[in-house]
Amino acid sequence: MKGTWERMHTQIQSGEQDGPLTERTPEAVGDDSLQVETRGLTVEDSVHLDACVKCSICTAHCPVAQAYAPFPGPKSIGPDAERLRLEGVELDPGCLAYCTNCKTCEVVCPSGVRITDMILRARRRQGSTGTESAEGWLRIRDHILGRAEYLGRLGTVWPGLTNAVLAWKVTRRLLAKTIGISADAPLPEYKRRFFPKKGSAGNKVVYFPGCFVNYNDEATGLMVIKVLEHNGFEVVVPGFHCCGVPLTANGRFREAEGNARRNLALMEPYLEQGIPVLTSCTSCGLALKEDYPKVQVPVAKRIGVQTYDLFEYLWLLHERGELKEDFQPVGLSLAYHAPCHLKAQGIGTPSLRIFRLIPGVKVEELDAGCCGLSGSFGFKAEKYELSLQIGRHLFQRVRQGMREGNFRAVITECGGCQVQIRHGSGAQSLHPVWILAQAYGLAGKTE
Amino acid sequence: MWDGLVIGGGLAGLTAGIRALERGKKILIVSEGVGSLAFAGGVLDFGRVRELRRLEKHPYAYVGEAAQRAFSYFLQHNPAYTGTWGRQGSVLTPLGTLRETEILPRRLDASPLFKANRIVVAVPEGLKDFFPEIVKANLQKQFPSGSVRLKRLSVQEFADWRAAGKSIPGTVYAEFWGTERGKTALKRYIGEIAGEIAGKTAGEADSEAIVFPGLPAIGCPELEEVLGETSLPVVGMTSFPPSAIGLALYDSLTRKVKALGGELLNGVGVDRVEVESTWARRAIIRSKGKETALRAEAFVLATGGFLGRGLIATPAEVKETVFGLPLYVPPVRGGSSFLGEQPYARTGVEVDDRLRPRDPATGEVLLENVFVAGRILAHWDPWLEHCGGGVSLSSGLLAGELL
Repeated sequence: MKGTWERMHTQIQSGEQDGPLTERTPEAVGDDSLQVETRGLTVEDSVHLDACVKCSICTAHCPVAQAYAPFPGPKSIGPDAERLRLEGVELDPGCLAYCTNCKTCEVVCPSGVRITDMILRARRRQGSTGTESAEGWLRIRDHILGRAEYLGRLGTVWPGLTNAVLAWKVTRRLLAKTIGISADAPLPEYKRRFFPKKGSAGNKVVYFPGCFVNYNDEATGLMVIKVLEHNGFEVVVPGFHCCGVPLTANGRFREAEGNARRNLALMEPYLEQGIPVLTSCTSCGLALKEDYPKVQVPVAKRIGVQTYDLFEYLWLLHERGELKEDFQPVGLSLAYHAPCHLKAQGIGTPSLRIFRLIPGVKVEELDAGCCGLSGSFGFKAEKYELSLQIGRHLFQRVRQGMREGNFRAVITECGGCQVQIRHGSGAQSLHPVWILAQAYGLAGKTE
Repeated sequence: MWDGLVIGGGLAGLTAGIRALERGKKILIVSEGVGSLAFAGGVLDFGRVRELRRLEKHPYAYVGEAAQRAFSYFLQHNPAYTGTWGRQGSVLTPLGTLRETEILPRRLDASPLFKANRIVVAVPEGLKDFFPEIVKANLQKQFPSGSVRLKRLSVQEFADWRAAGKSIPGTVYAEFWGTERGKTALKRYIGEIAGEIAGKTAGEADSEAIVFPGLPAIGCPELEEVLGETSLPVVGMTSFPPSAIGLALYDSLTRKVKALGGELLNGVGVDRVEVESTWARRAIIRSKGKETALRAEAFVLATGGFLGRGLIATPAEVKETVFGLPLYVPPVRGGSSFLGEQPYARTGVEVDDRLRPRDPATGEVLLENVFVAGRILAHWDPWLEHCGGGVSLSSGLLAGELL
């Protein structure tokens, strides 16, 4: 562990020397994404760098830094190290790989510093020379985990068989020994692949289901469509690819951008007609809102503006007086966990607002921090224990609430959070659309 | 449509939100980050309210009796705190000097030290930003008649922090003391000290006190149970930012907001507010990918001063960042004495007695449904007048009642 700290200060030989920051103009840096791979900072980046007043609030709130001593924390590997990186001093990529990209640092920062942007930029730059995981077999693992989409396609061919094989202890031990996927990690089960039927005509919305709905939770995807159809919409689901978040998390930046381009091409005709794109996964949603607008295709400038989280959109309908509110009373006491990537979207907690419109729903916000899974982070053998450690506050609160009979299930938008909450606390966990479905009287038909 | 939109999630904004929620209002609090409470040590200064109230345009002059009400209100809602209106208590600074304040966590109350003739300073191994020798020297200076000694406290759990060559943050230590193992370690440690005393001077145990840095002074009832069982008084300390106590206060206030059905939207600042004549209508926030418009009946402006970035200074001017309100700016900003009067501190928004923003030049009320609270108010200096907590609490409370 000492090694990590020492390696942090190891200077990696750099290429050409950049000129002083003040001499760079936005035009000189341009919008070319290739520039991001050099040390070229835009003027906006430098504003963010200077905005950091070193208050350390980000590190005090960082779920990883509070649980894992060798991790220097967002302030150190973000704005602090960024100044060193400008001088050609790079950090150990293994150290950067402990950032889970949960974005808590950016949410708590009082000065608007884009901390994870800096960290991701550094990881991206190092991607071409070093990799996230130093050892070869771990590189294979990262290669695999980044491709949730291909794994999903494979797994959903015969989900029963895949799940059975993945449930064998032998398989898990083998996976742990060979490629470092933890034998105890809560790998989600594969379900039948999500294939929505063509619905009735109405005002169109595009639904971006994401890999979790596509391969692990078909039923939630179908329910999202039913709820939207109940509100009179025609739901279009083009054959989207993975949003790219798992690829980014495993250091495959170029491939992530490739996916973004392909998805944007599929969305283009709808975006141009002003049709909104809805997500039910908060990480897909964040990628569409934050990363896709940076892709160098003309339609990219529309995607951020036209993407909505499902409940963000439903709340908008409510405000316009267009939401169907023929709610039946639902006598349920629930806990709600806000996923990190929902918090990062800066839209608040719209599902909670909708719940408060439904008679009989009692809901308590857990407010106990990150679940620790962070996509594939918690599946990795060397990070599995840490991921449970990060989620400890959440699990404790869930277990306590269940014991005291305050609630019977935990509601959260993120499929990863659901898997981890079940694993860490034993509680049932599901997407908020199921509560709405029950209030609309739609739930019985599919369950 | 919200009944009230509170802009700013510090002490003033959260207090305004909680008070309005208690009154049954639908409230959304929007904040750029977590607010400045985490930088503060978790004690709340009120200052000499009666004298300050007489100063023309001082916030205390506007809030009137709300100052005393805010004092009681806070204590009533935060049982880990103590204070008596009109009286001061003492707490230890991170360097071991004494400092006076009005509302303090019970655990930080330094009064047992005045009665003690022997002080033991606990030295938790590797605790970040804790300087035992300096603390010892300062305590010795302030309590010359007593003896002060340091006693190490080694904790197994932090081996990996030591291996990484890092000191242990106060927040990490604070969490540890609340765990079973932490409580056991603490009991054993205090037991050792009690044993040492009993061995040396039987019957004089009540003249001993332990100074203990890094304790979770609020929000940890389990620990209070353990400390309540010991015969020796244990005095906690304030700490440097980010302060575990300030963060715990922030957590307890935000939990209260959510428990009352309020919503807190962190990580986005309000970009601007659309105003029709003298009425604020919609706040525009910078959500990811697009702007979100939030419509509300009334607004609280509690974005803080220069640290909270409610105010921004350039060489040419000082700006209020949300509404672009005209400000009172002292003709000379700086003072010659570093720790003395610094006139810039009195920069801010002038208000009427309903906390509505006024034009400093004409005195005219600029916005009918906006109430200004906290550090952004003009004509006060929290450092010179030692009233930061009091002004924020009382103006926040009043704003929460006006919403």
